[in-house]
Amino acid sequence: MTTESLVRTEELRIYFPVRKFFGTVGEVKAVDGVNLSIGRKETVALVGESGCGKTTLGRALLGLVKPKSGKIFFDGTDLTILSERELKLMRRRMGVVFQDPYASLNPSFTVYRIVEEPLVVNKIGSKEERREMVLKALEEVKLNPAEFFASKYPHMLSGGQRQRVAIARAIITKPEFVVTDEPVSMLDASIRVEILLLFREIQKKHGVSFLYITHDLATAKYFSDRIAIMYAGRIVETGPTKAVLSEPLHPYTQALIDAIPDPDPSNRFVMRKIPPGQPPSLVNPPKGCRFHPRCPFFMQGKCDVLEPPMYRVGVERFSACFLHEEKVTIK
Amino acid sequence: MDDIEPNDALLSVKNLVLHFTTSRGIVRAVDGVSFSVRHGETLALVGESGSGKSSTALAIIRLLPRNVAAYRGSIIFEKMELMNLDDEEFRKRVRVGGISMVFQGAMNSFNPVLRVGFQVAEPLIVNLGVPREEAYKKAEDALELVGLERSVAQRYPFELSGGMKQRALIAMALITNPKLLILDEPTSALDVMTQANVMNLLKKLKKELGLTYIFITHDLALASELADRVAVMYGGLMAELGPSDELYPKPRHPYTELLINSVPFLRQDKEPTFIRGSPPDPIEPPIGCRFHPRCPYVIKGKCDVSTPPMFKADGEHWAACWLLEEK
Repeated sequence: MTTESLVRTEELRIYFPVRKFFGTVGEVKAVDGVNLSIGRKETVALVGESGCGKTTLGRALLGLVKPKSGKIFFDGTDLTILSERELKLMRRRMGVVFQDPYASLNPSFTVYRIVEEPLVVNKIGSKEERREMVLKALEEVKLNPAEFFASKYPHMLSGGQRQRVAIARAIITKPEFVVTDEPVSMLDASIRVEILLLFREIQKKHGVSFLYITHDLATAKYFSDRIAIMYAGRIVETGPTKAVLSEPLHPYTQALIDAIPDPDPSNRFVMRKIPPGQPPSLVNPPKGCRFHPRCPFFMQGKCDVLEPPMYRVGVERFSACFLHEEKVTIK
Repeated sequence: MDDIEPNDALLSVKNLVLHFTTSRGIVRAVDGVSFSVRHGETLALVGESGSGKSSTALAIIRLLPRNVAAYRGSIIFEKMELMNLDDEEFRKRVRVGGISMVFQGAMNSFNPVLRVGFQVAEPLIVNLGVPREEAYKKAEDALELVGLERSVAQRYPFELSGGMKQRALIAMALITNPKLLILDEPTSALDVMTQANVMNLLKKLKKELGLTYIFITHDLALASELADRVAVMYGGLMAELGPSDELYPKPRHPYTELLINSVPFLRQDKEPTFIRGSPPDPIEPPIGCRFHPRCPYVIKGKCDVSTPPMFKADGEHWAACWLLEEK
């Protein structure tokens, strides 16, 4: 896997200082020892609740956050040792789509200018070439006729159309890697699938690698090859999407799946199983396994003392839980 | 159309119309909607943004903006015609002990500089003149009822997590002992776990307090967590109305069918599809059935000419689609 990976992190740690008055009183350990790899033309879904560090991890992969320690490789180059100028060149090969299409587009720019901007910033093409590229990108995200949408302002568009503009902007530099951070969670259920299918189409056509950050396992199922489950700054389980969802290994993954309803009228007669408590503070995460205070399989003297390593449990399947200890083969 | 026996109904809405004036023209947010809600049942009001589901709720509880162009129809709650009440009577007879509402966006519904307890108690103090101390005590009871500690009353909104705030909002809505609770996307800003937690709470409260809910959502999977019956709205009109046990497995309106097909299932291997086209313009909706430009079963010369009435599919199952005409 490591040889073909386009993006890879090694023991990545990202801490943010907590300042009070004049001193630093602690650190938010947003990402705390993460090993993640994304292959070429692969879509990895990074799934977790708010505050688990998934957005920070996504930003780090784009070289937007300086890590405390660890490495981030993009196509073999370690981003953590690059200068700002070298990083900027590198970022040309990456794209990003944010969650809120109402906030991520400049309201005083036309769609044309919004989509053109990455080209201008990166000094790509002449004015005429840029025009052609913008219109092509708009067509690609199905904003037809492109000329018509190019002259619009964001406020004239629906949520789904705005997100398409954001996607056009992300793909216009022909990136090899795109981070999409909750790109459909603000959209209506009926539009979500449309946007996800658009991502899939772009991936097929251009062979882009995607990191799909979400808290929704149901959409991850339809738009990812592999899934990485994140809890309190750490990855607790990774594996092929279908396998993880049909047979989750880590108790936290299990809990996440249990929390999501499918449309089924018999749902109203049953209570959902939810682990007690809340995700921990990232300033003082629990010792040992970070899920242990909420875990139904908690083993005293073990889970609260030692940090579970990643166990290889099957083909491409990893889970950081002591329940797998007997089947040991450590990664 | 009478979807259920009028005698069973706690709330009965007939031909409800709510239009707004905007610079572009009249927005026909709710354009003649009828439905009833039984004592103790949950009706899910489902639709895309702009389908009129939230406006229907605002019309029922009479929380109207200034730009209302038309507000008419009949809203009968506990055999009382709400349209005939003046604002003062409405406040006394409906807002207190009648209908309460939990709004979307738990994060922004609280005043950041007032303690949670005071805000939960406020409806009692303002509407019923309950003495402060007693109201506070009741607020603590209400917080306990929704699974929070009594001490939460002393805290400020910023000290609570999203899920706790949502619970406190439900406590606020419950403190006047309403019979009908309107929930407008109560979990849409929350994480999956927190969402499941709040849904569990709503199920529990329904059972323990015998509450009646109108649950507004765009998410059919979430609606199935509570709904005894489902009302699907499209373009300011009712598209389909029926018991969940029938509507989910056998939708009768093409829009409902496509909406169900657009949901990604976690436990079934089904490729979701999307609905082509975009929602209708609320100012100049299409002539005839408002869904006809997107409908795969459109009948030329019929669907694009006349608006389908609600046809009875069977029992309490209704759909506004010409395909059901023979029945």
